[in-house]
Amino acid sequence: MWVYEKKLLYPVEVSTCNPKLAKYMMEQYGGADGELAAALRYMNQRYTVPDKVIGVLNDIATEEFSHLEMLATMIYKLTKDASPQQLEEAGLGAHFVNHGHALFYENAGGVPFTSTYFQAKGDPIADLYEDIAAEEKARATYQWLIDISDDPTLNDSLKFLRERENVHSLRFRESVVILKEERDRKKIF
Amino acid sequence: MNAFEEERQMMIRLQEADFVVVELTLYTNTHPTDEEALDQWREAIKEAARLRRQYENRYGPLSLYSIPSEQAIEAGWRWNQPPWPWQR
Repeated sequence: MWVYEKKLLYPVEVSTCNPKLAKYMMEQYGGADGELAAALRYMNQRYTVPDKVIGVLNDIATEEFSHLEMLATMIYKLTKDASPQQLEEAGLGAHFVNHGHALFYENAGGVPFTSTYFQAKGDPIADLYEDIAAEEKARATYQWLIDISDDPTLNDSLKFLRERENVHSLRFRESVVILKEERDRKKIF
Repeated sequence: MNAFEEERQMMIRLQEADFVVVELTLYTNTHPTDEEALDQWREAIKEAARLRRQYENRYGPLSLYSIPSEQAIEAGWRWNQPPWPWQR
């Protein structure tokens, strides 16, 4: 089970209302390599991996949910004071007529989220390699977001998230090594 | 430092302490025999718990695992009360 903590993993502050930037942030909110996909992927894979790597999947999945809350906070703060006209100018006119000021799990192009963004193969090595790739793709997306954003306080939070993807990738790589070592030990005896 | 800024600083210190726990938990998951890291991890949990108690005593529980302090109740703390994290 989970218990809600009334705090963010890392502070999120935005300099100004900027719906265009919010639209770009949606890539990491409801996109293929975004935080929702990551959280759901790992949380679902943890049931069928060897005991030695359950903790990694469980704890990274939990952290991804806290990242998802950070992304939601970014989008919320960047759009909450935007007029319908400002949203339309930012390319969020279609979003506004369907969702108003609400958030929606979709990517920067407005494509709704789907579970086909990720796999559960039932093969720990195959799953972990997908997880490493997912972290690297998320890291790259954060880099593109930092490159396109001109909001210094928002970029501070984005840089934190980019670094977390690096750490997660490393922990998944170590998990692969742990499983391969275990497999090789079994062959010897 | 005004009251708002004081609360903000305490929250940031708690976020930092909690983050050390998150990071060391992940590290020790894949380095289960690194005794130095395990020591750091246990110390980090203690420090985060200490800062959480300090924050919650003044401003009220951050989760429903904590008992509301007299001070927080007297100040009118309620769970269902803003600011929520995205409203801060």
